[in-house]
Amino acid sequence: MITTLLTFKDIHLNYPALERPILQKINYSVQAGDFVIVLGANGSGKSSLLKLIDGRYQPSQGQILLEHKNIHRLSAKNRAHHIHTLTQSAQDNLFLNLTLFENYQLLARNPKERKKKGLEAEIIFLKEYLKDFNPNLCDKLSMLVGRLSGGEQQALALALAVLDPPAILLLDEHTSALDPKTAAHLMALTANIIAQKKITALLTTHNTQHALNYGTRILALREGEILDCIEGKAKKELDHASLLERCY
Amino acid sequence: MIGLFIATLTQALTLIPLALGINLSYTILRATDMTIDGSFVLGAGVFAQLVSLGVSPYLAFLAAMLAGALAGAFTAFLQHKGKVDALLAGILSSFILYSVNMAIMGRPNINLLNSPSLFSTAFAQNNLMGWSAVCALVLILALGFYALLQSRLGLYLRAFGDNPKLLARQGLNIETLRTLGFGLNNLLAAASGAITAQIIGYADINMGVGMTLVGIGAIILGQHLILPCIKTHYLRTRTELLSAFIGIAIYFFILNGLLRFNINPIYLKLMLGVLLALFLRAATQKAKLS
Ligand SMILES: Nc1ncnc2c1ncn2[C@@H]1O[C@H](COP(=O)(O)OP(=O)(O)OP(=O)(O)O)[C@@H](O)[C@H]1O
Ligand SMILES: [Mg+2]
Repeated sequence: MITTLLTFKDIHLNYPALERPILQKINYSVQAGDFVIVLGANGSGKSSLLKLIDGRYQPSQGQILLEHKNIHRLSAKNRAHHIHTLTQSAQDNLFLNLTLFENYQLLARNPKERKKKGLEAEIIFLKEYLKDFNPNLCDKLSMLVGRLSGGEQQALALALAVLDPPAILLLDEHTSALDPKTAAHLMALTANIIAQKKITALLTTHNTQHALNYGTRILALREGEILDCIEGKAKKELDHASLLERCY
Repeated sequence: MIGLFIATLTQALTLIPLALGINLSYTILRATDMTIDGSFVLGAGVFAQLVSLGVSPYLAFLAAMLAGALAGAFTAFLQHKGKVDALLAGILSSFILYSVNMAIMGRPNINLLNSPSLFSTAFAQNNLMGWSAVCALVLILALGFYALLQSRLGLYLRAFGDNPKLLARQGLNIETLRTLGFGLNNLLAAASGAITAQIIGYADINMGVGMTLVGIGAIILGQHLILPCIKTHYLRTRTELLSAFIGIAIYFFILNGLLRFNINPIYLKLMLGVLLALFLRAATQKAKLS
């Protein structure tokens, strides 16, 4: 059975000082298990769309439903329990002056069960768990996260975000500050986990190759409006030239 | 020399709660909280006034700590509602507290030599008993503080100091954390003020001047000396507390040492100020390297 997880109902986002709305006339729905790639030029409103979902922005008009509930009526705690956001900048994702282990304690959504087994067991578990994301992280549990490399930080942020998977994962160019090889690796890892853990995800990117290779649907924005939606067979058969033509 | 050590230890002891409070504001909440200059006097003043009105020293001590916590909560309130940054809010609070303290005390100085204190029965037996009682009280405060930092709340306070935005996105109420954090550090400063007043035998309206600076200098010095020796961060709460103890002890060791050289008291603050500047500089240089 297909369930609609997220519904945008005529969303407008205005900013008084701006000529045109940041977002307008957004009607869209995301099914459970969808992996939506959001494309669009700089300033087209991709990040703003994600910020509306996680509650950092409030719509000027319209509403966003999580199942049947207005996302902006949920308590911040409840919303945070269902939705997790990662962005390209580490300070949005991690507590940089805290240790890796402290970040785990703060960011894992559901640490109670693991905590019962005691500190030693928790540390062993965490080392083993992090190995798949970046083996360098395993012996750095007591290190301040700000001292990790950018690639290690993003791998850690992803690892902690999906440890107890959220219903919705929002990824705002989370690989864009990484070198091409690390970015490709992290992107593949991300797609793997999303599929494996059946997480519903929205990802913004300027990497058209990622948009072609990953995701179940594409949502293209232009100047705050939906330009195109590509899904199903059309998404699978999309080539680079037509992507450029349809999405920018 | 033994006299120097004893003077150092006894003075450092009374300021350990203050150092713990500054550890909380400066290291954990990452704010320079100048309220402490005022809440130190507030603690001493409330205690002295209540005791001289005949209130039991136990109640007076609790009231002093509570008053300190309220002062800290006020600083947090200024930051939140007044949109003032932590440094300015603290300066503003300690400015206001000068009047408040004066109003509470009714005069610039209250003598306590003939009033009962928390330690008077112990000191009546002998000095060792007296100092043991002081030690015990400081230890209770330090252990309570340690337990708190080790708890989930302690972790939230640390996270608040590092990245309040991210913490708010986890759905936590950061204003509550701010109030708790600043309340607690000023509670500890007020406790120090009340203990100091009992040991020196009076409360004075000016006794808090420079306390924040002394505390910050001391804990930075302490961390500076200890951190290189200890690698693992699992123990960081313990390390922090230990460095607060050591830092404050070294500060008083130097202070008493200087006094013994018959330094003109007029120049004492100048020399201590230069010394603190050197501590701070040494610490920032090391931070660059690591
Ligand atoms: N808080 C804000 N205040 C003012 N303007 C804003 C705000 N947030 C977004 N905007 C404006 O809205 C427009 C869309 O911004 P947004 O960050 O959503 O674009 P984007 O598609 O993510 O761009 P990029 O690809 O560069 O990340 C921009 O013109 C931006 O200046
Ligand atoms: Mg963006």
